[in-house]
Amino acid sequence: MFSLNPQTLKKLRRFRAIKRGYYSFLLLSLLLLALSVAELWVNSRALIVNFEGQLYFPTYGAFHPGTDFGLDYSYETNYRALAEVFAQQEGDNWLLMPPVPYNAFESHSSGEYYQPEAPSLSQLHLLGTDTTSRDILARLVYGTRIALLFAIAFMLAVYLIGIAIGCAMGFFGGLFDLVFQRLIEIWSNIPFLYMVIIVFSVVPASFDTGARIGLLLGVMVLFSWTGMTYYMRTETYKEKSRDYVAAARIIGASNRRIIFKHILPNVVSTLVTFMPFTIVSAISAITALDFLGFGLPPPTPSLGELLKQGTANLRTAEWIVTSAFATLVMLLTLVTFIGEAVREAFDPKQFTVYK
Amino acid sequence: MRYNTVTVNKPLGLLQILVLTLLLAACSNNSDPEKATEVLDNSQEVLDYYASNPDFFRFKSTADLPADLKWQDGSELPEIGSEQAVKGGTEYARIADFPRTLRLVGPDSNGSFRGYLQDNVSLSLAHRHPNQFDFYPGLAQQWAVDIDHRTVYVKLNPAARWSDGEPIRTDDFLFMFFFYQSPYIVAPWYNNFYKTKYSHITRFDELTFAITVPEAKPDLDSRVLELTPVPQHFYRELGDDFVERYQWRFQPTSGAYIVKPGDIKKGSSIAFTRQQDWWAKDLKFWKNRFNVDKIHLAVVRDTAKYFETFKRGDIDRFGLDLAQYWYDKLADSDPDVASGYIHKTQFYNQRPRPTWGLWINSAKPLLDNRDIRIGINYASNWDLVIAKFFRGDYARLHSAREGYGGFSHPGVRARSFDIEKAQQHFSKAGFDQRGDDGILVNSSGQRLSFTLSSGYERYRDVFTILKEEALKAGLELKIEVLDSTAGFKKASEKQHEIHFVAFNVGLEMYPRFWDFYHSDNAYDQAFLADGSVNPLRTVKPQTNNLEVFADINMDQKIAAYRASSDAAEMTVLAHEMTEMHYDYASFVPAFYQPFYRVGHWRWLRYPEGFNYKYSSSSSHYNVYWIDQAMKKDTLKARKEGISFDPEVTIFDQFK
Repeated sequence: MFSLNPQTLKKLRRFRAIKRGYYSFLLLSLLLLALSVAELWVNSRALIVNFEGQLYFPTYGAFHPGTDFGLDYSYETNYRALAEVFAQQEGDNWLLMPPVPYNAFESHSSGEYYQPEAPSLSQLHLLGTDTTSRDILARLVYGTRIALLFAIAFMLAVYLIGIAIGCAMGFFGGLFDLVFQRLIEIWSNIPFLYMVIIVFSVVPASFDTGARIGLLLGVMVLFSWTGMTYYMRTETYKEKSRDYVAAARIIGASNRRIIFKHILPNVVSTLVTFMPFTIVSAISAITALDFLGFGLPPPTPSLGELLKQGTANLRTAEWIVTSAFATLVMLLTLVTFIGEAVREAFDPKQFTVYK
Repeated sequence: MRYNTVTVNKPLGLLQILVLTLLLAACSNNSDPEKATEVLDNSQEVLDYYASNPDFFRFKSTADLPADLKWQDGSELPEIGSEQAVKGGTEYARIADFPRTLRLVGPDSNGSFRGYLQDNVSLSLAHRHPNQFDFYPGLAQQWAVDIDHRTVYVKLNPAARWSDGEPIRTDDFLFMFFFYQSPYIVAPWYNNFYKTKYSHITRFDELTFAITVPEAKPDLDSRVLELTPVPQHFYRELGDDFVERYQWRFQPTSGAYIVKPGDIKKGSSIAFTRQQDWWAKDLKFWKNRFNVDKIHLAVVRDTAKYFETFKRGDIDRFGLDLAQYWYDKLADSDPDVASGYIHKTQFYNQRPRPTWGLWINSAKPLLDNRDIRIGINYASNWDLVIAKFFRGDYARLHSAREGYGGFSHPGVRARSFDIEKAQQHFSKAGFDQRGDDGILVNSSGQRLSFTLSSGYERYRDVFTILKEEALKAGLELKIEVLDSTAGFKKASEKQHEIHFVAFNVGLEMYPRFWDFYHSDNAYDQAFLADGSVNPLRTVKPQTNNLEVFADINMDQKIAAYRASSDAAEMTVLAHEMTEMHYDYASFVPAFYQPFYRVGHWRWLRYPEGFNYKYSSSSSHYNVYWIDQAMKKDTLKARKEGISFDPEVTIFDQFK
């Protein structure tokens, strides 16, 4: 929609020059990339199985029952056990497990009971296990992935609605503006957290996990888009009175063209600076909701659920809370650094010092 | 004696708080302060009610008492409690939430707090002895059972009086029926129970009366002797505004503890004070109990915080039923335990067991297929949960009717986890192919997937384990953990597919079947006159028949069971019904806990055997006491680092 004009390019160059933000950005991108293929490095399914001369790649796709590999059960193969079977047989069969050979749901205890176990290299539980002996690293990885995807989807949705309505308010003004302002004032006074809690107590039904995450997203977006409209409205008001808009109008440009081609690219800097902070708030919100038990349905891995477990077992299993807390801090710090850098890069007054 | 869901130490759901706040806000605008102070007197209304129900309320004189009655007084039973018990001190305990009312009936009154107000402390006519099961006297001095006429005769103890000094008389029992039958109390369960479970009360004089029940049962005496009177003088203002008028009034009690108005700190704490001149304080079965002078209950919502408060010594006792508390969080090596400041005690008890299990709604599609239900039974790995999650401490429940001695079926065994058998039954129901995700599908592509709902947040890890294990058999369980109230509502509305819950059971002689398995509680008009299934029947909500179990043979057996007065015949029927229930496979028995465990500071003293056979918790029967000097010593020793002998005791005399 937008082609990069020289000014934007200049801003991007300035962003690159701010090292802290830039490296945070690279790190976060790398993290996102790694998380999007998490199945390849944190998974209970093997990467490659060589069984009787045939190669299998179980990571993605349909499950392989144990009978596929000469075992006597029809449910999903336990690849860790299979590796031991192969080792005993001393045949040509072999398999390659991911570096972290656990998924986020299975209980794997080295002792007699399901209880938290401290990080151990020999068990390959690099961050230890939680109260039901599930691998914390696996739960962190998949939990973070869900949280990040959720936050990005949340941001996109909030911006779409916020920009559309805010722009329209600023551009058309008058009665439309007046009515919407009042509506937004009322709407934004409804406490969002309580609404989520109420909605979730009423419509849990038999939705599957995906639908419930979607619902949570929907409710959160519904109560969060209002904040954006104010910035968009003032910015649009400001830009609308500029000469170039008047000029475009005289030439005969349609409202749509003026909004999308002329005004939007000029207010985009305001938008961009808010993005990272929206992500931060989305991650915090979903973590908080999970912590309170109103977020993602169990046993979906999540940071909030880990934090909750951690605080409940502070004396006996401090590794749970440490890893969840460290992850959250790291994630939020990275995004905040990026946000600050973006804000600075897009600031028209280059030599201002914030006091 | 009511069937309630097991009360949990769980903070009030936020939703409830919200709704409550909204309600309160709404009420405050509408209620008329003038009206609540208006003095009412319903004496005449009560008399009119008696007069208009002459069959129920009968008035005779002592001359009409049958001469051949065999009066009993339970005096041969052993005393309860320890001679060593000393009175005094303050017990500090925790409540998870502040009670929403001090009323004993009506909206919001059936919470766990009711136990402190009434169920655990007040006196009924007689009580079951905690070791012997027979009755020892409470308010009654003597009683006589006339099985042939389904009647129990009672002579009240003339010394019995309410905590406000008024004597307890026959009229309080007549009024009890008026009270519980009245629509003012907004409690349909009581209305129904006191109208249908009793046929009449006969007053002979102010201390003598008889109560008759409609059916002669082996435990006929308990129906009457476990009644608690209602103080007529206190409820003189009973009327349409009962719910608001009595919201925060403490009803005079026949028991040892009263609530003083100054001790109600709404939202934070409430205290019970022992009456120094309690009328029963020197009676044989009561003198060594209810020893502490004050019970101070503070609201601590969060369990982790509750534990820390206990560890600091601000609360005297903490339940260690969950393995992680007994073994990890308060391990024997814990400094406070190792130094003997905190004692750990495990006590094996014997009483009817709460019915933890998966309640399968057999009216839902697919679940109406018996093979699928049997498959679910085989696909539920409770043995693993017990072994790994509960660390082998709990035992597998085998039927929903355990702990009733001979009435419990000795042969019925819960189905153990067995993938082969589960798959056999699933494939009989058409689910013989595995989909790409390993879940079974039938020929029309339908997945074998059900929602497992529950109101028990603390067991969420258990559901995860079940889910993972069920996957092996090709069954998908979608977990839905709800707020405790919402969870039970869902099940009692029969909206669930598979629900995890337990019904708490009182100390009763024989199990109940009607509530759970009678077709009256499953459907509106389950069967037509000729005994065939009514095609138009609709599921009946708000009953305890969560499995929607309807079988005309079962109905007949239940009728015979209810009508029977012969324990041997009832035992046979109970066994047959338990087998039918097992064959129907709509209930997956989970686990029971054959003991309770508690950690308590050493100044909280217990009798030699700790507690009694039928006790349900360490505070049940109130036989403990506080040694104030020891408390001072312990706190001082703890400060100075002096230690005592550690005490970790297991009482298995009733194992």
